[in-house]
Amino acid sequence: MPKARNVLIEVDGHPLYVLPMGRDGIVEVEGPRGKTIVELKQEKVRVKDSPCPAKQCVKQGWAEHGVIVCLPNKVVITIGNDGDDVDTVVDAITR
Amino acid sequence: MKSGIQHAKSKFQIPNSTKRMVSTLCCFVLLALPGSCTHGKEKIYKKSRIMMDTVITISVVSHSEDHAERAINSAFSEIKRLEALFDFYSPDSEVSRINKHAGISRVKVSQDMLAVMVKASFVSDKTGGAFDVTAGSLLVLYDFSHGIKPRPYAIEKRLPLVNYKAVHIDRKDAGVFLEKAGMLIDLGGIVKGYAADRAVETLKREGILSGLVAVAGDIRAFGLKPDGKPWKIGIKNPRAEGKDDILATLDLKDMAISTSGDYERFFIIEGERYHHLLSPATGYPVRTCQSVSIIAGEGVLADAFATGVFIIGPEKGITLIEKMGFDGLIIDREGAVHVTSNIREKIELEKNFTRHNGS
Repeated sequence: MPKARNVLIEVDGHPLYVLPMGRDGIVEVEGPRGKTIVELKQEKVRVKDSPCPAKQCVKQGWAEHGVIVCLPNKVVITIGNDGDDVDTVVDAITR
Repeated sequence: MKSGIQHAKSKFQIPNSTKRMVSTLCCFVLLALPGSCTHGKEKIYKKSRIMMDTVITISVVSHSEDHAERAINSAFSEIKRLEALFDFYSPDSEVSRINKHAGISRVKVSQDMLAVMVKASFVSDKTGGAFDVTAGSLLVLYDFSHGIKPRPYAIEKRLPLVNYKAVHIDRKDAGVFLEKAGMLIDLGGIVKGYAADRAVETLKREGILSGLVAVAGDIRAFGLKPDGKPWKIGIKNPRAEGKDDILATLDLKDMAISTSGDYERFFIIEGERYHHLLSPATGYPVRTCQSVSIIAGEGVLADAFATGVFIIGPEKGITLIEKMGFDGLIIDREGAVHVTSNIREKIELEKNFTRHNGS
Protein backbone atom coordinates (compact mmCIF):
# COMPACT_ATOMS: atom_id res chain seq x y z
CA MET A 1 0.00 0.00 0.00
CA PRO A 2 1.52 3.34 -1.00
CA LYS A 3 2.36 5.51 2.01
CA ALA A 4 0.28 8.63 2.52
CA ARG A 5 2.52 11.61 1.87
CA ASN A 6 0.67 14.77 2.84
CA VAL A 7 -1.90 15.93 5.33
CA LEU A 8 -4.25 18.69 4.19
CA ILE A 9 -6.04 20.67 6.89
CA GLU A 10 -8.97 22.84 5.84
CA VAL A 11 -11.19 25.08 7.93
CA ASP A 12 -14.59 26.05 6.57
CA GLY A 13 -13.52 24.93 3.10
CA HIS A 14 -10.29 26.98 3.12
CA PRO A 15 -6.99 25.08 2.93
CA LEU A 16 -4.79 26.20 5.81
CA TYR A 17 -2.01 23.65 6.08
CA VAL A 18 -0.34 21.07 3.92
CA LEU A 19 1.97 19.01 6.07
CA PRO A 20 4.31 16.19 5.15
CA MET A 21 3.56 12.95 6.97
CA GLY A 22 7.18 12.18 7.65
CA ARG A 23 7.65 14.86 10.32
CA ASP A 24 6.19 14.44 13.80
CA GLY A 25 4.57 17.47 15.34
CA ILE A 26 1.52 19.28 16.67
CA VAL A 27 -0.55 21.88 14.83
CA GLU A 28 -3.14 24.17 16.37
CA VAL A 29 -5.88 24.92 13.90
CA GLU A 30 -8.16 27.88 14.57
CA GLY A 31 -11.80 27.25 13.73
CA PRO A 32 -15.03 29.14 14.48
CA ARG A 33 -15.29 27.47 17.89
CA GLY A 34 -11.66 27.62 18.89
CA LYS A 35 -8.51 25.55 18.53
CA THR A 36 -8.48 22.02 17.15
CA ILE A 37 -5.19 20.33 18.07
CA VAL A 38 -3.88 18.03 15.32
CA GLU A 39 -1.00 15.66 16.02
CA LEU A 40 1.24 13.92 13.49
CA LYS A 41 3.34 11.00 14.67
CA GLN A 42 4.98 8.07 12.89
CA GLU A 43 3.05 8.48 9.63
CA LYS A 44 -0.28 8.77 11.46
CA VAL A 45 -2.59 11.66 12.28
CA ARG A 46 -5.11 12.28 15.03
CA VAL A 47 -7.10 15.06 16.63
CA LYS A 48 -5.72 15.42 20.13
CA ASP A 49 -8.36 17.87 21.27
CA SER A 50 -11.09 20.06 19.85
CA PRO A 51 -13.66 22.57 21.15
CA CYS A 52 -16.69 20.47 20.24
CA PRO A 53 -19.29 18.94 22.60
CA ALA A 54 -19.17 15.26 21.56
CA LYS A 55 -15.42 15.03 20.70
CA GLN A 56 -16.19 12.49 17.98
CA CYS A 57 -13.12 13.65 16.06
CA VAL A 58 -10.94 12.85 19.06
CA LYS A 59 -12.61 9.47 19.58
CA GLN A 60 -11.70 8.49 16.02
CA GLY A 61 -8.11 8.15 17.17
CA TRP A 62 -5.08 7.71 14.91
CA ALA A 63 -5.59 7.45 11.15
CA GLU A 64 -3.17 6.50 8.39
CA HIS A 65 -5.45 7.46 5.50
CA GLY A 66 -8.88 8.89 4.85
CA VAL A 67 -10.49 11.89 6.48
CA ILE A 68 -10.95 13.11 10.06
CA VAL A 69 -13.58 15.77 10.53
CA CYS A 70 -14.55 18.03 13.41
CA LEU A 71 -17.98 19.15 12.30
CA PRO A 72 -18.72 21.84 14.90
CA ASN A 73 -15.33 23.49 14.39
CA LYS A 74 -15.51 22.99 10.58
CA VAL A 75 -12.14 21.27 10.37
CA VAL A 76 -11.47 18.70 7.63
CA ILE A 77 -8.20 16.74 7.77
CA THR A 78 -7.42 14.79 4.59
CA ILE A 79 -4.65 12.21 4.74
CA GLY A 80 -2.92 10.73 1.75
CA ASN A 81 -2.47 11.06 -1.97
CA ASP A 82 -5.25 11.80 -4.34
CA GLY A 83 -5.66 9.14 -6.97
CA ASP A 84 -3.74 6.29 -5.41
CA ASP A 85 -5.71 3.19 -4.61
CA VAL A 86 -6.01 2.96 -0.88
CA ASP A 87 -6.42 -0.40 0.74
CA THR A 88 -9.72 0.26 2.50
CA VAL A 89 -12.40 -2.35 3.00
CA VAL A 90 -15.22 -0.06 1.94
CA ASP A 91 -15.53 3.08 -0.18
CA ALA A 92 -18.11 4.71 2.08
CA ILE A 93 -20.10 4.00 5.20
CA THR A 94 -23.84 4.49 5.49
CA ARG A 95 -24.82 5.47 9.02
CA MET B 1 -0.71 3.24 -28.28
CA LYS B 2 -4.14 2.77 -29.72
CA SER B 3 -4.69 4.78 -32.89
CA GLY B 4 -8.37 5.31 -32.30
CA ILE B 5 -9.13 4.85 -35.95
CA GLN B 6 -11.78 2.36 -36.95
CA HIS B 7 -10.75 0.74 -40.21
CA ALA B 8 -13.86 -0.24 -42.08
CA LYS B 9 -13.51 -2.96 -44.64
CA SER B 10 -13.06 -1.26 -47.98
CA LYS B 11 -12.03 -2.05 -51.46
CA PHE B 12 -9.14 0.37 -51.26
CA GLN B 13 -5.93 -0.59 -49.61
CA ILE B 14 -4.50 2.20 -47.47
CA PRO B 15 -0.70 2.08 -47.47
CA ASN B 16 0.83 1.35 -44.04
CA SER B 17 2.86 4.55 -44.10
CA THR B 18 -0.33 6.59 -44.45
CA LYS B 19 -1.99 4.65 -41.66
CA ARG B 20 0.94 5.39 -39.36
CA MET B 21 0.91 9.07 -40.20
CA VAL B 22 -2.82 9.40 -39.64
CA SER B 23 -2.65 7.54 -36.38
CA THR B 24 0.18 9.77 -35.15
CA LEU B 25 -1.83 12.88 -36.08
CA CYS B 26 -4.83 11.51 -34.22
CA CYS B 27 -2.68 10.98 -31.17
CA PHE B 28 -1.59 14.61 -31.27
CA VAL B 29 -5.17 15.76 -31.55
CA LEU B 30 -6.25 13.59 -28.64
CA LEU B 31 -3.46 14.90 -26.45
CA ALA B 32 -4.27 18.48 -27.32
CA LEU B 33 -7.93 18.25 -26.35
CA PRO B 34 -8.36 19.19 -22.70
CA GLY B 35 -9.70 16.43 -20.52
CA SER B 36 -9.57 13.82 -23.26
CA CYS B 37 -6.03 12.60 -22.65
CA THR B 38 -6.05 8.83 -22.69
CA HIS B 39 -2.51 8.55 -21.38
CA GLY B 40 -3.33 8.82 -17.70
CA LYS B 41 -4.34 5.76 -15.77
CA GLU B 42 -7.86 5.77 -14.37
CA LYS B 43 -7.79 6.63 -10.68
CA ILE B 44 -10.21 7.43 -7.89
CA TYR B 45 -10.18 11.06 -6.77
CA LYS B 46 -11.88 11.88 -3.50
CA LYS B 47 -12.80 15.10 -1.68
CA SER B 48 -14.62 15.82 1.59
CA ARG B 49 -16.34 19.05 2.58
CA ILE B 50 -18.63 20.17 5.35
CA MET B 51 -22.04 21.18 4.01
CA MET B 52 -25.66 20.68 5.11
CA ASP B 53 -24.26 20.47 8.64
CA THR B 54 -22.50 17.20 7.87
CA VAL B 55 -19.55 15.65 6.02
CA ILE B 56 -20.01 15.14 2.29
CA THR B 57 -17.51 12.98 0.42
CA ILE B 58 -17.46 12.78 -3.36
CA SER B 59 -15.36 10.15 -5.16
CA VAL B 60 -14.96 10.05 -8.93
CA VAL B 61 -13.07 7.91 -11.42
CA SER B 62 -11.08 9.85 -13.99
CA HIS B 63 -7.97 9.77 -16.16
CA SER B 64 -7.28 13.37 -15.27
CA GLU B 65 -6.90 15.07 -11.90
CA ASP B 66 -8.04 18.38 -13.38
CA HIS B 67 -11.18 16.86 -14.79
CA ALA B 68 -11.90 15.12 -11.49
CA GLU B 69 -11.38 18.33 -9.53
CA ARG B 70 -13.62 20.37 -11.82
CA ALA B 71 -16.40 17.79 -11.69
CA ILE B 72 -16.17 17.44 -7.91
CA ASN B 73 -16.23 21.22 -7.42
CA SER B 74 -19.32 21.49 -9.63
CA ALA B 75 -21.05 18.83 -7.58
CA PHE B 76 -20.19 20.62 -4.32
CA SER B 77 -21.49 23.90 -5.77
CA GLU B 78 -24.76 22.19 -6.54
CA ILE B 79 -25.02 20.87 -2.98
CA LYS B 80 -24.22 24.34 -1.62
CA ARG B 81 -27.07 25.73 -3.71
CA LEU B 82 -29.47 23.16 -2.30
CA GLU B 83 -28.27 23.83 1.25
CA ALA B 84 -29.43 27.43 0.88
CA LEU B 85 -32.94 26.21 -0.01
CA PHE B 86 -33.39 23.55 2.65
CA ASP B 87 -31.53 24.83 5.72
CA PHE B 88 -34.05 24.76 8.58
CA TYR B 89 -31.86 26.96 10.77
CA SER B 90 -31.20 29.67 8.22
CA PRO B 91 -33.82 32.45 8.34
CA ASP B 92 -33.25 33.18 4.62
CA SER B 93 -33.81 29.66 3.32
CA GLU B 94 -36.82 28.70 1.26
CA VAL B 95 -37.98 26.25 3.92
CA SER B 96 -37.89 29.04 6.51
CA ARG B 97 -39.99 31.21 4.24
CA ILE B 98 -42.58 28.45 3.99
CA ASN B 99 -42.57 28.03 7.77
CA LYS B 100 -42.89 31.76 8.44
CA HIS B 101 -46.01 31.91 6.25
CA ALA B 102 -47.75 28.98 7.93
CA GLY B 103 -51.41 29.77 8.34
CA ILE B 104 -50.88 33.00 6.41
CA SER B 105 -50.21 32.51 2.74
CA ARG B 106 -48.89 30.24 0.02
CA VAL B 107 -45.21 30.60 -0.80
CA LYS B 108 -43.83 30.40 -4.34
CA VAL B 109 -41.05 27.82 -4.37
CA SER B 110 -38.19 26.57 -6.56
CA GLN B 111 -38.45 23.46 -8.72
CA ASP B 112 -36.14 21.67 -6.28
CA MET B 113 -38.40 22.44 -3.32
CA LEU B 114 -41.44 21.39 -5.32
CA ALA B 115 -39.79 18.11 -6.26
CA VAL B 116 -38.84 17.36 -2.65
CA MET B 117 -42.28 18.27 -1.29
CA VAL B 118 -44.00 16.06 -3.88
CA LYS B 119 -41.71 13.14 -3.02
CA ALA B 120 -42.25 13.77 0.69
CA SER B 121 -46.00 13.65 0.22
CA PHE B 122 -45.68 10.41 -1.73
CA VAL B 123 -43.62 8.78 1.02
CA SER B 124 -46.05 10.05 3.67
CA ASP B 125 -48.90 8.34 1.82
CA LYS B 126 -47.01 5.07 1.41
CA THR B 127 -45.88 5.00 5.05
CA GLY B 128 -49.31 5.89 6.40
CA GLY B 129 -47.99 9.15 7.80
CA ALA B 130 -44.99 7.60 9.58
CA PHE B 131 -42.81 9.84 7.45
CA ASP B 132 -44.10 13.35 7.97
CA VAL B 133 -42.09 16.52 7.40
CA THR B 134 -44.51 18.47 9.60
CA ALA B 135 -42.99 16.64 12.59
CA GLY B 136 -40.62 19.62 12.47
CA SER B 137 -42.70 21.42 15.11
CA LEU B 138 -42.04 18.50 17.50
CA LEU B 139 -38.34 18.13 16.69
CA VAL B 140 -37.56 21.70 17.73
CA LEU B 141 -38.74 20.87 21.24
CA TYR B 142 -35.72 18.61 21.75
CA ASP B 143 -32.26 20.04 22.43
CA PHE B 144 -29.76 17.37 21.42
CA SER B 145 -26.71 19.49 22.14
CA HIS B 146 -27.65 19.97 25.76
CA GLY B 147 -29.70 16.82 26.34
CA ILE B 148 -33.00 18.55 27.07
CA LYS B 149 -36.34 16.88 26.42
CA PRO B 150 -39.72 18.61 26.30
CA ARG B 151 -42.44 18.29 28.91
CA PRO B 152 -45.41 16.13 27.85
CA TYR B 153 -47.63 19.21 27.83
CA ALA B 154 -45.40 20.96 25.29
CA ILE B 155 -45.63 17.95 22.98
CA GLU B 156 -49.40 17.55 23.35
CA LYS B 157 -49.97 21.18 22.50
CA ARG B 158 -48.19 20.73 19.17
CA LEU B 159 -49.61 17.41 18.02
CA PRO B 160 -52.50 19.11 16.14
CA LEU B 161 -49.88 20.88 14.03
CA VAL B 162 -48.44 17.59 12.81
CA ASN B 163 -50.31 16.44 9.73
CA TYR B 164 -48.80 16.05 6.29
CA LYS B 165 -52.27 16.41 4.77
CA ALA B 166 -52.34 20.00 5.97
CA VAL B 167 -49.48 20.77 3.58
CA HIS B 168 -50.92 22.06 0.32
CA ILE B 169 -48.73 21.75 -2.71
CA ASP B 170 -49.58 23.63 -5.90
CA ARG B 171 -47.76 21.72 -8.61
CA LYS B 172 -48.80 23.98 -11.46
CA ASP B 173 -47.71 27.25 -9.89
CA ALA B 174 -44.95 25.75 -7.72
CA GLY B 175 -46.31 26.82 -4.35
CA VAL B 176 -46.47 25.41 -0.82
CA PHE B 177 -48.95 26.41 1.87
CA LEU B 178 -49.00 25.21 5.46
CA GLU B 179 -52.58 25.34 6.67
CA LYS B 180 -52.14 26.25 10.35
CA ALA B 181 -50.04 28.88 12.08
CA GLY B 182 -47.30 27.23 14.05
CA MET B 183 -46.79 24.39 11.59
CA LEU B 184 -43.12 23.73 10.86
CA ILE B 185 -41.68 21.53 8.14
CA ASP B 186 -38.23 20.04 8.63
CA LEU B 187 -36.81 18.35 5.54
CA GLY B 188 -33.83 16.79 7.28
CA GLY B 189 -35.20 13.29 6.69
CA ILE B 190 -35.25 13.64 2.90
CA VAL B 191 -32.95 16.35 1.52
CA LYS B 192 -29.61 14.60 1.98
CA GLY B 193 -30.80 11.82 -0.32
CA TYR B 194 -32.08 14.44 -2.76
CA ALA B 195 -28.74 16.25 -2.66
CA ALA B 196 -26.93 13.00 -3.42
CA ASP B 197 -29.16 12.52 -6.49
CA ARG B 198 -28.52 16.05 -7.80
CA ALA B 199 -24.77 15.78 -7.14
CA VAL B 200 -24.61 12.54 -9.13
CA GLU B 201 -26.46 14.22 -11.98
CA THR B 202 -23.93 17.05 -11.90
CA LEU B 203 -21.02 14.62 -12.04
CA LYS B 204 -22.56 12.84 -15.02
CA ARG B 205 -23.10 16.16 -16.81
CA GLU B 206 -19.39 16.86 -16.25
CA GLY B 207 -18.53 13.66 -18.10
CA ILE B 208 -17.81 11.44 -15.10
CA LEU B 209 -18.73 7.83 -15.80
CA SER B 210 -18.22 6.40 -12.33
CA GLY B 211 -18.62 8.02 -8.94
CA LEU B 212 -19.83 7.89 -5.38
CA VAL B 213 -21.55 10.72 -3.54
CA ALA B 214 -21.89 10.30 0.22
CA VAL B 215 -23.95 13.03 1.93
CA ALA B 216 -23.25 11.81 5.43
CA GLY B 217 -24.78 8.31 5.27
CA ASP B 218 -27.00 9.02 2.28
CA ILE B 219 -25.03 7.53 -0.54
CA ARG B 220 -25.51 7.18 -4.28
CA ALA B 221 -23.21 5.22 -6.59
CA PHE B 222 -22.91 4.94 -10.35
CA GLY B 223 -20.49 3.07 -12.60
CA LEU B 224 -17.61 0.81 -11.63
CA LYS B 225 -14.22 1.47 -10.04
CA PRO B 226 -10.96 1.23 -12.03
CA ASP B 227 -10.55 -2.39 -10.92
CA GLY B 228 -13.89 -3.18 -12.53
CA LYS B 229 -15.65 -3.72 -9.22
CA PRO B 230 -18.74 -1.88 -7.94
CA TRP B 231 -18.48 0.68 -5.13
CA LYS B 232 -18.46 -1.09 -1.79
CA ILE B 233 -20.52 0.27 1.09
CA GLY B 234 -20.30 -0.55 4.77
CA ILE B 235 -23.30 -0.45 7.08
CA LYS B 236 -22.38 0.89 10.47
CA ASN B 237 -22.98 -1.02 13.66
CA PRO B 238 -25.48 1.18 15.51
CA ARG B 239 -23.86 0.51 18.88
CA ALA B 240 -20.23 1.00 17.86
CA GLU B 241 -18.52 3.65 19.97
CA GLY B 242 -16.23 6.20 18.34
CA LYS B 243 -14.50 4.37 15.51
CA ASP B 244 -16.64 3.09 12.65
CA ASP B 245 -17.48 -0.53 13.17
CA ILE B 246 -19.04 -2.16 10.14
CA LEU B 247 -21.61 -4.90 10.55
CA ALA B 248 -22.25 -5.62 6.88
CA THR B 249 -20.87 -4.72 3.46
CA LEU B 250 -22.60 -4.63 0.11
CA ASP B 251 -21.95 -3.59 -3.47
CA LEU B 252 -23.86 -0.58 -4.71
CA LYS B 253 -24.51 -0.79 -8.45
CA ASP B 254 -26.20 2.36 -9.78
CA MET B 255 -28.32 2.61 -6.65
CA ALA B 256 -28.71 4.73 -3.55
CA ILE B 257 -28.58 3.67 0.08
CA SER B 258 -29.71 5.60 3.15
CA THR B 259 -29.67 4.78 6.82
CA SER B 260 -31.72 6.22 9.66
CA GLY B 261 -30.38 5.44 13.09
CA ASP B 262 -30.98 6.24 16.73
CA TYR B 263 -27.30 7.01 17.25
CA GLU B 264 -26.94 10.08 15.00
CA ARG B 265 -28.47 12.68 17.31
CA PHE B 266 -29.40 11.54 20.79
CA PHE B 267 -29.00 11.87 24.52
CA ILE B 268 -29.74 9.46 27.33
CA ILE B 269 -31.76 10.35 30.43
CA GLU B 270 -32.23 7.74 33.14
CA GLY B 271 -31.30 4.92 30.79
CA GLU B 272 -33.74 6.01 28.08
CA ARG B 273 -32.43 7.09 24.69
CA TYR B 274 -33.96 10.25 23.22
CA HIS B 275 -33.08 10.51 19.55
CA HIS B 276 -34.27 12.53 16.57
CA LEU B 277 -36.58 9.97 14.89
CA LEU B 278 -39.89 10.97 16.43
CA SER B 279 -43.29 9.42 15.92
CA PRO B 280 -45.51 12.08 14.30
CA ALA B 281 -48.42 10.59 16.24
CA THR B 282 -46.93 10.82 19.74
CA GLY B 283 -43.98 13.21 19.53
CA TYR B 284 -41.67 10.72 21.24
CA PRO B 285 -38.71 8.80 19.78
CA VAL B 286 -39.61 5.39 18.39
CA ARG B 287 -37.52 2.64 19.92
CA THR B 288 -38.36 -0.53 18.00
CA CYS B 289 -35.37 -0.16 15.66
CA GLN B 290 -31.73 0.84 16.15
CA SER B 291 -31.21 1.48 12.46
CA VAL B 292 -32.89 1.13 9.07
CA SER B 293 -30.97 0.99 5.78
CA ILE B 294 -32.78 1.16 2.45
CA ILE B 295 -31.50 0.61 -1.07
CA ALA B 296 -33.52 2.24 -3.84
CA GLY B 297 -32.94 3.73 -7.27
CA GLU B 298 -33.16 7.31 -5.99
CA GLY B 299 -31.49 8.82 -2.95
CA VAL B 300 -34.49 10.99 -2.16
CA LEU B 301 -36.68 7.90 -1.75
CA ALA B 302 -34.05 5.84 0.10
CA ASP B 303 -33.66 8.71 2.57
CA ALA B 304 -37.37 9.39 3.18
CA PHE B 305 -38.34 5.72 3.38
CA ALA B 306 -35.49 4.97 5.79
CA THR B 307 -36.88 7.70 8.03
CA GLY B 308 -40.48 6.46 7.70
CA VAL B 309 -39.71 2.75 8.07
CA PHE B 310 -37.79 3.48 11.27
CA ILE B 311 -41.02 4.84 12.70
CA ILE B 312 -43.05 1.91 11.42
CA GLY B 313 -40.88 -0.76 13.06
CA PRO B 314 -39.04 -3.92 11.95
CA GLU B 315 -41.63 -6.45 10.78
CA LYS B 316 -44.12 -4.12 9.10
CA GLY B 317 -41.14 -2.11 7.88
CA ILE B 318 -39.61 -5.01 5.97
CA THR B 319 -43.03 -5.77 4.48
CA LEU B 320 -43.36 -2.20 3.23
CA ILE B 321 -39.83 -2.15 1.81
CA GLU B 322 -40.56 -5.36 -0.11
CA LYS B 323 -43.88 -3.94 -1.32
CA MET B 324 -42.11 -0.86 -2.69
CA GLY B 325 -39.65 -3.07 -4.57
CA PHE B 326 -36.67 -1.82 -2.55
CA ASP B 327 -34.05 -3.69 -0.55
CA GLY B 328 -33.56 -3.08 3.13
CA LEU B 329 -31.81 -4.06 6.34
CA ILE B 330 -33.20 -3.29 9.78
CA ILE B 331 -31.49 -3.74 13.12
CA ASP B 332 -34.14 -4.01 15.80
CA ARG B 333 -33.98 -2.94 19.44
CA GLU B 334 -32.39 -6.27 20.41
CA GLY B 335 -29.71 -5.98 17.77
CA ALA B 336 -31.14 -8.70 15.52
CA VAL B 337 -30.95 -8.12 11.77
CA HIS B 338 -34.02 -8.21 9.52
CA VAL B 339 -33.50 -8.21 5.76
CA THR B 340 -35.56 -8.22 2.58
CA SER B 341 -35.50 -11.48 0.65
CA ASN B 342 -33.46 -10.14 -2.28
CA ILE B 343 -30.77 -8.60 -0.17
CA ARG B 344 -29.93 -11.83 1.67
CA GLU B 345 -27.41 -12.94 -0.92
CA LYS B 346 -26.12 -9.47 -1.69
CA ILE B 347 -24.75 -8.56 1.70
CA GLU B 348 -21.89 -9.93 3.71
CA LEU B 349 -22.78 -9.91 7.38
CA GLU B 350 -19.99 -9.73 9.94
CA LYS B 351 -19.86 -12.68 12.32
CA ASN B 352 -21.17 -11.10 15.49
CA PHE B 353 -24.61 -10.31 14.16
CA THR B 354 -27.46 -12.76 14.22
CA ARG B 355 -30.24 -12.72 11.71
CA HIS B 356 -33.76 -12.48 12.99
CA ASN B 357 -35.47 -15.87 12.60
CA GLY B 358 -37.57 -16.15 9.51
CA SER B 359 -36.15 -13.21 7.59
